[in-house]
Amino acid sequence: MDFTEPVVLVLTSLADGPKHGYALAKDIEDFAGAKLGPGTLYGALSRLEDRGWIEALPSDDRRRPYRITAAGADCLAKHLKAAQRVATTGLSRLDLRPTI
Amino acid sequence: MRKDQPWPVALLSAYPADWRARYGDELELLIADLRAGGRAPIPMAFDLLCGAVAAWVRIERRTLMSQRSRNALISVLWSWVAFAAVAAWFGHDLAIYPSALKVAQIDPSHPVVPDAYHVLLAAGAVGVAATAMAAITFAINALGYARRCGRRSTFVLMAVPVVIAGGWLGGLRLLPAGNFTVGNLTLAVGWLLLGVAGIAGSTQAVVTVIRSTEFSERTWRIGGVAAAAVTAVMVVATGATITWGVAERASQVHRGDASGWLIVTAIMAVTTARAVIALIGARREPAGKPVAA
Repeated sequence: MDFTEPVVLVLTSLADGPKHGYALAKDIEDFAGAKLGPGTLYGALSRLEDRGWIEALPSDDRRRPYRITAAGADCLAKHLKAAQRVATTGLSRLDLRPTI
Repeated sequence: MRKDQPWPVALLSAYPADWRARYGDELELLIADLRAGGRAPIPMAFDLLCGAVAAWVRIERRTLMSQRSRNALISVLWSWVAFAAVAAWFGHDLAIYPSALKVAQIDPSHPVVPDAYHVLLAAGAVGVAATAMAAITFAINALGYARRCGRRSTFVLMAVPVVIAGGWLGGLRLLPAGNFTVGNLTLAVGWLLLGVAGIAGSTQAVVTVIRSTEFSERTWRIGGVAAAAVTAVMVVATGATITWGVAERASQVHRGDASGWLIVTAIMAVTTARAVIALIGARREPAGKPVAA
């Protein structure tokens, strides 16, 4: 699965505990400033669930919470470390760029 | 749609029915919560329509992948069953080999003979392990699907191989042993043919279950790994059987009729080629456009 932005945002949000759809949308808006639409959010959730990277928890409420699985946490960690290396390199190169 | 719900909820009907059954209720609540929180309805409606298109594309892609996987897996299964039946029969004849005496005779000049025999044994063990792994995974998935969908026929079909194997092995114990009369020989050959028919019937029952069940992506991935593993085993075992036969005949220890070995080798080669072609064909078929995650 490609790590597109909604997938990374959802996994990152679930990394600190289970959340249902609305809590996910609010959390992502808070930490990333991104307003994910309902179709985008549930598209990412269904793909992640198919992949086994998140799982739905039992709930009496219609608002079903999701939690990240060990496989999902592992893949997210690898992706974020790789992204961090790219970000660090990019930022250091921008700092080294001569100013005109 | 209820009157108190925001109008974008109506767009949920654009989603595939299976998708709606799984996520519809939750998405409906999310839309209502987001509207109550002040989210504008038009961008939300546009986002829902894009989500519906993506869900349909994913289902189309999954169906295509599933059909390709299904056909390839069924071809490999038939090839593997035929291969394993012949190899098992051949192995039954080989069970006396390598005896210590025979190894002592062959080993000094033709060490490849016992080596090939051990390669055959190792390949057989890997093949059985891969088959068991796939069989357990597919059986669990198929039982779950049958229970959810109320398909009693799946339970019956899955019992067929167990009943046939139990009946055939049980009957084998009742066959008279030791007396090589015409009647006993006819009975033994008849029982053997019945066993072949039982293997074919059991495989067809499994194929019917595979064709009529919706398996998860995870199950197909495990099936794909097992199919690749048994195909590799077939390639290795065919090579080892050819090496074994050629080397043993070269050793001059065995001067018997070679037709049995040649027939076994030919069947192994044909079934192996069929499995390899099925796997390559499944990979060459055009896949649907990948869906961005």
